[in-house]
Amino acid sequence: MSIFSELKEAVTRNIDRMTGSGAQYTDARWYQDDSSEMLVLLDGNLEGNDTSVESGLGVRVLYGGAWGFAATSRTTDVDSCFDRAMANAVSASKLVKVRLDMGSKLGHTGSYTSPHQVDPIDVSLSEKVDFLRRVDESLTEDWILRRMLRVQFQRMIIHFWSSEGTYTMKKLINTFAHMTALALDTDHQMQRRSKTLVCETDGTRGWEMLTNPALWSGHAERIKKELKEVLAAPELEYGTRSVILLPGQGHLQVHETIGHPLELDRILGYELSYAGGSFVNLDSFGKLKYGSDKLNVSAYGSIVNSPGTFGFDAEGTPERDYLLIDKGVLVNCLTSRAMISEANQRAGREVFTESGGASRSTAFYRAPIDRMTNVNILPGTDGTLEDIIKTTEDGIIVDNPTSWSIGSNREHFHFGCEIAWEVKNGEITRVLRNPSYQGHTVEFYNNLSAVGDKSTWVVEQVENCGKGEPNQVMELGHGVPVIKFDNVISGERK
Amino acid sequence: MMNDKLRTMIAGARDLARDRGIKASINYHHENSHLMRIGNNSVSLNTSEELTRIDIEVIDGRKKGTHTHLGELASTEELFDIILKVSEKAANSAEMDFEPVLTVIESNVELQTQYDEALDHLDPAVKERVYSSIFKSVGEDYNYSGSWSSGSTETFSVTTANNNYVWHRLTDQQFMCVLKHPEKMWELASWQTGWKAGDIKAETTVEEFKAILPTYENHAGFKVEPGNYKVVLGSQAVGELMSMAVWSACAGRTWEMKMGWTADKKIGDQILHQSVTVLDDPTSDQIFSEPLSDSGMLTKTLPMIESGKFAGLLYDRNTASKYGKKPTPNAGCLVMQPGSGPADFLEAVEGIDRVLYIPAIHYMNIPNMSKGIFTGSSRFSAVLVEKGKIVSPIFSSRITDQFDNIFGNVLEISSKTTSVNTSNTYGRRNPSAVSVPTWMLVDDVKITDCADSF
Repeated sequence: MSIFSELKEAVTRNIDRMTGSGAQYTDARWYQDDSSEMLVLLDGNLEGNDTSVESGLGVRVLYGGAWGFAATSRTTDVDSCFDRAMANAVSASKLVKVRLDMGSKLGHTGSYTSPHQVDPIDVSLSEKVDFLRRVDESLTEDWILRRMLRVQFQRMIIHFWSSEGTYTMKKLINTFAHMTALALDTDHQMQRRSKTLVCETDGTRGWEMLTNPALWSGHAERIKKELKEVLAAPELEYGTRSVILLPGQGHLQVHETIGHPLELDRILGYELSYAGGSFVNLDSFGKLKYGSDKLNVSAYGSIVNSPGTFGFDAEGTPERDYLLIDKGVLVNCLTSRAMISEANQRAGREVFTESGGASRSTAFYRAPIDRMTNVNILPGTDGTLEDIIKTTEDGIIVDNPTSWSIGSNREHFHFGCEIAWEVKNGEITRVLRNPSYQGHTVEFYNNLSAVGDKSTWVVEQVENCGKGEPNQVMELGHGVPVIKFDNVISGERK
Repeated sequence: MMNDKLRTMIAGARDLARDRGIKASINYHHENSHLMRIGNNSVSLNTSEELTRIDIEVIDGRKKGTHTHLGELASTEELFDIILKVSEKAANSAEMDFEPVLTVIESNVELQTQYDEALDHLDPAVKERVYSSIFKSVGEDYNYSGSWSSGSTETFSVTTANNNYVWHRLTDQQFMCVLKHPEKMWELASWQTGWKAGDIKAETTVEEFKAILPTYENHAGFKVEPGNYKVVLGSQAVGELMSMAVWSACAGRTWEMKMGWTADKKIGDQILHQSVTVLDDPTSDQIFSEPLSDSGMLTKTLPMIESGKFAGLLYDRNTASKYGKKPTPNAGCLVMQPGSGPADFLEAVEGIDRVLYIPAIHYMNIPNMSKGIFTGSSRFSAVLVEKGKIVSPIFSSRITDQFDNIFGNVLEISSKTTSVNTSNTYGRRNPSAVSVPTWMLVDDVKITDCADSF
């Protein structure tokens, strides 16, 4: 009997046992293989050459309206893992005000494999190092003080079973990369320019993604040129002006001030003690003018190649393409089954009709929570970056975050960026250093005055989104065009 | 608790590696974790994980490789097979311009002075009862959330450099409860920490909430206009700010790379107010113990900031090798020395017209590390104080300032210290804490934005 057959038999037998013991719902995730590799080349030195392999079972039991979860790395420990999950659920059910319910769904089966040509975990270390050395050489200049290259590869094979009879299997492949060049400016402040590996929306996620120069390595010359300009640039002065976000910055703006506030567990108050709450409430849907008419935001977005594309979520729900914000009006959010059931129960009406397929867990030993998939601003009709610059009287263009700090309900924010280009009367006039901007979320998005067309739209990757307790890191994507906001406070008050 | 068979297995694999001429370190990490999460006055998650990890590092001349295996290992041979794979990885790696250094464990260590059997096996029902008691005592009309993480961490480390080992077992817990008004939307918070089962007490949180509730219930929120203010920072805020300030100032790698705000400073320079002293002190009972530095030395108390002067840089073994310095026996246990102020900050500000009290800073980040500029916003129980009286809660307010301003403009520091738990639960269980004064009064703090809500 194969390990898979043994696990399947033990898991399905135990799921039946939990149901027989009064569980409302039970599911189990077996991470057959969770392999990752991280390489860090710092000033040409391979200082990070790290791999990890994890494998194990996570079990979730809903009993008496409460969740219990347990995990084990021992495949011989399946029965007791189920028992611990049930005991935790029974214990939790003694302190429950709103009893959770998954609703009912018919079981289904399915499988998903991330599109890829070459599994990056299988590529030899020497080939990886040779490639990184070539990229590093292209970054090397006498005046550059530090060069940092970081690549990360993931391969996960995940089996899922539920008490509804659902079985899904996923093989997920992820490839991430960052390059950063640093140098001291005229005031001895360290400045940097960086480039993150982005997705071709219809491309693939394997080793071939990393070696496509258009997506990452081919940007070395540009970031060196821009870094040199930053070193001699004046500092951005405090003031109110238009701010144009390139996708390298815009994706994080979307992540922090649209993605996180629209996670339903956060809206319902389940993240208050850690990540925070949301200024959005259940009455906001269909009413809140989140942004100007130019703001259209989707979840998932049917993007073929993204770390936020995974076929089925951690409850077996197929990914679903839907709008979160329609012409500026908030219409939906990022949801899982238990959360929509509770939200509708609390609102006394059907706010949400079906799960958004956004239940995700970072590892076998973490319980699923509501996460972003791909959260995207849809392309607009305001043309190219050049077209948007032409319509800007007084503004800055900014790219790539150096810092991000968001209010606890995502109602206000502050971002620092690597570079700014000043725009005066429709033309770029000069480069500025140490740019930052701040704002209040709803006011900011209602000042959205231009959205670039499809030619400006880029799918950026995020591999380190943190949330939940115990803490979970998650991978996801954001498709974002060039976006312009008016009347934004930027620069630091003296 | 790990058994003799496991120790023998790890030592056996080390010996096999040494016989093959492989320079390796083997670290066993076992955690028994439990976390109860509270949301909307309910247990929203009750989770337990028992996980074993083996970390292996192999150094091959100027090359190295590391690997982590999460799962059980049955035999010395199975572990040695993994070491061989890491050895091959190191051999296929790229040479560096410095020689990575293998940890050399200075002497055998068996340490479990901060281990409590009762906490290791704490019944989740105890947590449920503590939260229930808080809800009932303070009022069940409020919305409560929180989390309570507890568990044990056991490590056993050996390297091929010698036959020494270090075995360390400790328990830790981190408790938080947030009270939110369902309509007015303000939030109060209470934190507790410790390593013994009895360290977390419902009455402590109840008293904290009851002390501040009348201010929040009876006053509307105050919107703070941007400007410079006298601010009392509470222990959570001091702990996080001090940690960020000191690590970006005193970490050897950061300083050598000219990344931090002390890049142009040298040891002995006055960089902060003379009332500020920070030690790396593994002897404090307010932090979680760390017996060995990463280079294998027995940890010692090291000055980092002494009466405001830049007093020490910390070097891990590889940074030391790269920059030609000696590694330091640091524990990573930051302790900020107390001042002479009263235990209650309200007494300290009786003669001051207007002060903001900010107990915690949410989502802090560093836009400019060269200048030590940080930003973050007030959260939880923040209030406006006039002449020593709490006047009103304040809306979510942003501080954007510099570390050397905050710790350079200190007016007074509490004589009482407390432990602030700085552990997170990303990846493996890894307890950490800092010891800080319960409050610090600072002049000219820059408030740069304020929301219209809490």
